[in-house]
Amino acid sequence: MANSTNKSGAVMVIGGGIAGIQAALDLAEMGFYVYMVEKGPAIGGRMAQLDKTFPTNDCSICMISPKLNDVGGHINIEILTLTDVLSVKGGEGDFSVTVRKNPRYIDMSKCIACGECAAKCPKKVSNYFNEGVDNRKAIYVEYAQAVPLKFSINAAECIYLTKGKCGNCQKVCPAKAVNYEDKAEEVTLRVGSVVVASGFDVFDPSVAETYRYGQWPNIITSMEYERILSASGPFQGHLVRPSDHKEPKKIAWLQCVGSRDVNRCDKRYCSAVCCMYAIKEAVISKEHSPSLEASIFYMDIRTYGKDFEKYYNRAQDAGVKFVRSRIHTLTPGADGNTVLEYIDDAGEKQSETFDLVVLSVGLTPRVNLPKLAESLEIDLNEDGFVQTQPLTPINSTRAGVFACGAVNEPKDIPFTVMEASAAAEAAGRVIAEAKGTMTKSRVYPPERDVKNEVPRIGVFICHCGINIASVINIQEVVDYCQDLPFVELCTNTLFACSADSLGKIKEAIDEHKLNRLVVASCTPRTHEPMFREALAQAGLNKYLFEMANIRDQNSWVHQKEPAKATQKAKDLVRGAVAKAALLEQMYQTKVSLTKEALVVGAGAAGLNSALSIAKLGYPVHLVEKTDTLGGNGPKIFSREKDVRGYMVKLIKEVEENPNIKIYRNSYPTSSHGFVGNFETKFQGPDGEFSIAHGVTVLCAGGHAHKPTSYLYGENPNVLLSLDMDELLATNSETIKKPGQTFAFIQCVESRDPDRPYCSKICCTHSIESALTILDRNPEATIYILCRDIRTYGFREKLYQEARSRGVRFIKYCLDCGKPEVVAGANGKLNITIKDHVLNRPLLIEADYVTLATGIDPTPMREEIVEVFKGQLSAEGFLFEAHMKLRPVDLATDGQFLAGLAHYPKPLEETIVQAKASAARVATILSKDHIMVGGVIAVVDPDKCAVCCTCVRACPVQVPKIVRNETDPALRGHAYMEPAMCHGCGVCVSECPGKAIKFQFFTDEQLLAKVEAMIVEKKAKPA
Amino acid sequence: MSEFEPKIIAFCCQYCAYNAADTAGSMRLQYTPNVEIVLIPCSGRFDVILALKAFQSGADGVYVAGCLEGGCHFLDGNIRAKKRVVYLQNELKKIGLEPERLAMVNVSASQGPQFAAYVDEFAGVVKGLGPSPVKKQLAA
Amino acid sequence: MIICERKPIDEIKGFIAGKKKVLLVGCRGCVTVCNAGGTKEVEILAALLRLDAQKEGVELTVDEFTLERQCDPEYVDELADLVAKGYEVILSMACSVGPQFLSRRYPKERVFPSLNTCFIGGALAHGVWAEHCQACGNCIIHNYGGMCPVSRCSKSIMNGPCGGSSNGVCEISKEVECVWHLIASKYMDEGRLEEFAPIQPIKDWSKSRDGGPRKIVREELVK
Repeated sequence: MANSTNKSGAVMVIGGGIAGIQAALDLAEMGFYVYMVEKGPAIGGRMAQLDKTFPTNDCSICMISPKLNDVGGHINIEILTLTDVLSVKGGEGDFSVTVRKNPRYIDMSKCIACGECAAKCPKKVSNYFNEGVDNRKAIYVEYAQAVPLKFSINAAECIYLTKGKCGNCQKVCPAKAVNYEDKAEEVTLRVGSVVVASGFDVFDPSVAETYRYGQWPNIITSMEYERILSASGPFQGHLVRPSDHKEPKKIAWLQCVGSRDVNRCDKRYCSAVCCMYAIKEAVISKEHSPSLEASIFYMDIRTYGKDFEKYYNRAQDAGVKFVRSRIHTLTPGADGNTVLEYIDDAGEKQSETFDLVVLSVGLTPRVNLPKLAESLEIDLNEDGFVQTQPLTPINSTRAGVFACGAVNEPKDIPFTVMEASAAAEAAGRVIAEAKGTMTKSRVYPPERDVKNEVPRIGVFICHCGINIASVINIQEVVDYCQDLPFVELCTNTLFACSADSLGKIKEAIDEHKLNRLVVASCTPRTHEPMFREALAQAGLNKYLFEMANIRDQNSWVHQKEPAKATQKAKDLVRGAVAKAALLEQMYQTKVSLTKEALVVGAGAAGLNSALSIAKLGYPVHLVEKTDTLGGNGPKIFSREKDVRGYMVKLIKEVEENPNIKIYRNSYPTSSHGFVGNFETKFQGPDGEFSIAHGVTVLCAGGHAHKPTSYLYGENPNVLLSLDMDELLATNSETIKKPGQTFAFIQCVESRDPDRPYCSKICCTHSIESALTILDRNPEATIYILCRDIRTYGFREKLYQEARSRGVRFIKYCLDCGKPEVVAGANGKLNITIKDHVLNRPLLIEADYVTLATGIDPTPMREEIVEVFKGQLSAEGFLFEAHMKLRPVDLATDGQFLAGLAHYPKPLEETIVQAKASAARVATILSKDHIMVGGVIAVVDPDKCAVCCTCVRACPVQVPKIVRNETDPALRGHAYMEPAMCHGCGVCVSECPGKAIKFQFFTDEQLLAKVEAMIVEKKAKPA
Repeated sequence: MSEFEPKIIAFCCQYCAYNAADTAGSMRLQYTPNVEIVLIPCSGRFDVILALKAFQSGADGVYVAGCLEGGCHFLDGNIRAKKRVVYLQNELKKIGLEPERLAMVNVSASQGPQFAAYVDEFAGVVKGLGPSPVKKQLAA
Repeated sequence: MIICERKPIDEIKGFIAGKKKVLLVGCRGCVTVCNAGGTKEVEILAALLRLDAQKEGVELTVDEFTLERQCDPEYVDELADLVAKGYEVILSMACSVGPQFLSRRYPKERVFPSLNTCFIGGALAHGVWAEHCQACGNCIIHNYGGMCPVSRCSKSIMNGPCGGSSNGVCEISKEVECVWHLIASKYMDEGRLEEFAPIQPIKDWSKSRDGGPRKIVREELVK
């Protein structure tokens, strides 16, 4: 594509954690070239270190591992590891970024990640990936699933590089990959925008003497604890404590270590994730050992996210003990135990002994962030994070430089992923006209049609240096496999994955007219794409390839049994050859798409989503059920940001954007189609109409719950939060009358059995309102009656300000009684509440009572769920495709969501999610067509009994019974839209007529493979 | 006579179980060579005919390995696989083949140690049962 | 459709005891749809029988074939060539019509049923089927809110419910919903209980089994 702009079509993403990964993948799919700069030797970041993730207890590495491989294999993402950013010159659209690639001392093109080097390296050093709980070698890979899976040498630790002696690794490396002469290299790259996603550091609790961290072995950080829990961690997942490797019977978690603590830790903010991860660690620990006593010592439990509150409730049911107390002193006990002293709710002093104490450490800015910020010429805020503004939460202070994830503010994974997509939207938007100017695509020679050929299989047995060859007798396997059915060529290769071997494979395909290929080497998880690529380059269909895993699942795990391992290798190759003989050419087909988006709902989420999509260059149909745009936005008042002004500007911009068509007073009635090609019908003011669209964003919104308690609706001085907002926004004089008392009641009809979720915004909002009242009426008396105060992240500073300015916080709990409100004789509202400090009832005479009710989702069952085939949670919010890593996607491909329909959230998070939805939309609309097919299920209409078994068995509701295409009068059959099939094979295994074929894993192929693996050699056909 | 070396086929899903087996490899955890792995996209692709074919061909044991319950990348493939395993165990029992020769296990990608331990455990069970009566006849 | 389930393997083994050559015939009709006798079930049963024989060291060949339907002679004819190969036993995996049609067409063969024919019904969910008809020959469901008291009431009573109905379930089992409860609820929900109140007349059972095996002849179709 000709570049008619002077902008660059490339983006630099700094940081290879989940934030950088999501931003890079979105940008690359949106049509931009991405340089991913990672300081360490591999991408993966913090998520690779975690054991499980809340609130689903999903295995963290299982979730991120496929994403790592997506990044590693993406043609438009270039990973620069061990790289530092030195300077960023130029401006938005045209930056010159100079980076330094530090030496790895390993030739990445040669390293086969066999680990021989590390086995022979004499230098043991602290393993930072395991948080220093165990040791690794000076030459290392961080973890088994690392991308790129290449070793590296830490120069400061290496004996050879520091003293010029040793050299073991170079001697033993079978691939000759070690290069002690490797030098740092400076490179300048031209990019149009920059995304900073460099993450966070874990707070070091040794600065706070109180916690005895680093002094007593059984005081550990939560991050160390994650590694201890992890199956790939220092104790292989056995829950033991560091001092004596004994299983702990009592564990205490101390919350807010390095958070919400100005005195000892110099950290004012809340780290936003520690309550949930501590609960998760406690729950998982109890799963490891059910008799374990787990206690969490906290100030406020902040389980404010989607499904967090239920997770907290379940933890309590599972016996995790929650103690509201900030521990001030740790006392040594016998046997490496620790004694904690605290005052319980009844005011009694308690003393308890724990085997292990886990410090729930906070998130702090990276130690090198100031330097990076200097190179990037961006400002940091007073807490040392990247400076952003509430209504532009991913914009740094420099145009064209965006920031996402914990580099801005501590936050959890789902919100990090949302921000990353939003950053991709922002980074892509400023260079929208340069889309596609830097991206590459692969070009292949025409494919040879081998459909009618007798199989001619080439088998390559890899030595993997000595990785395989030291255990398995390669020659024996080669000799054996020569005579297997259809094998035309069987040979050995030192490194099948090396460039010259790949060249030889291609030559062999030509020379021997091979039409199937088997490589016996490592795992298809990492290497199958590379070999398939080689087939494609040699003009063979890439699916005519099968691997036998004789390293990871053979030589590495049977090192002491060479004869048996050799036998097993023969079995595995025999199986692979049998399957290969039955492999068929498979093709992905191009399907055109409608490059237009449908956005349903025109609140802050829908407006932002529509505007962002439009600015990325795609037409948008924005459909709103009412006659006004803006949703809740225009009703909100905030002391921290001009929400109303923002909404007016936003609505105007949307209305004036030529790419956006607005349909008021309209609602959807039916929708059909699949990603790229949807058609939705609407009922509008002038009757029914229909819109063709490629993607859908659902922003149906939510609203403040209207309560039936606390005299609401009966007494004019009992207000909802938004009523108070109206008084504040209009600068009402009634607020300013001297001597008045204002009370806020939190969690009204929220966080109870009827609404077992926290609405996330109400604590902060009430505090903001209280501070505004104090700004205007300094003599006012203000009470906030609350359960836990959940001012997560930087919002904590508002809570601190409110306390310092005399706002009185009185805690209540559901068990010990909610406050009661009655109309007093004097026209005041009399509130009775039991004070938790005085432990006696308190009477408050208030002029105004503001009820902080939660957010109810818009009822979506009929107009959203039934029309678009979504799913609702028990609380009535839309279910996203994956709670952790796909927080903006719905389960149906091509459908996205944003705003309150997903879960209650503050405006700034709605903006982020809406922008994120635009990036996700652009990953689809940027394409000229979508490729469908491949490893999916396909129905043979002739065999189909139209029984509906597949329709019912499919986890994602893809199969449909359709009419016969050639003649509607003929019998119908089941049909799976190739663009929609996720490729699990459940339907195939249940179809009673055996009418469904799962391509690349057909019954015939698998049965042949299984039989061949078990039954010794069959004779070669004549 | 040399010690009985069972032949076991493991159907492993690509996201978790196969990954766990690779993790065991990168951790160099040593386990019995008696087990050989067949990659399937999801444990939900496990079809009873695959296990029947394995037994017919002379396998001494078969197991299906999927993601942890609740962790299936296709929502419930592993639950469905488990049900098929239970169904087939009952059928095997009725034709007089020990149902213990067939099993279902759940592992996550990082659970290399658990995967390796399970291989040995299952191989131990199968060794205890002795050679499959089918295999004895095949050999005869 | 006709809902069937496979006979216990022991019973089927009994049919083929001592035999070496067996033909297993599936049906692509009702029994495929109710996952009892389609290609897949044929494949599984064949594999089980082979495995059992292998285990015992017994020689056994099981051939598999699935017909479009076993209740139409034209399709049953399609087996002729295969049957000519000579099987000691033919196992039909269809409803009970199948083995009868096979026996009639191939009188010299020993045909056994491998399925038990259970009832006429439909699928409530994936893997769940329920009885909805007893083929009484005189349908009256329009009088009962679209529900059949003959097949769905344990007592087949026409003026219910009986005293055994409690909290919507039948006294015979908490798993059995009381159809009379459903019928009454439906009329109540629709606000026309009074239409339902009259005692229903005695049902005409003459079209049920009182004349022995039934037959329908459509003269205009008969050649």
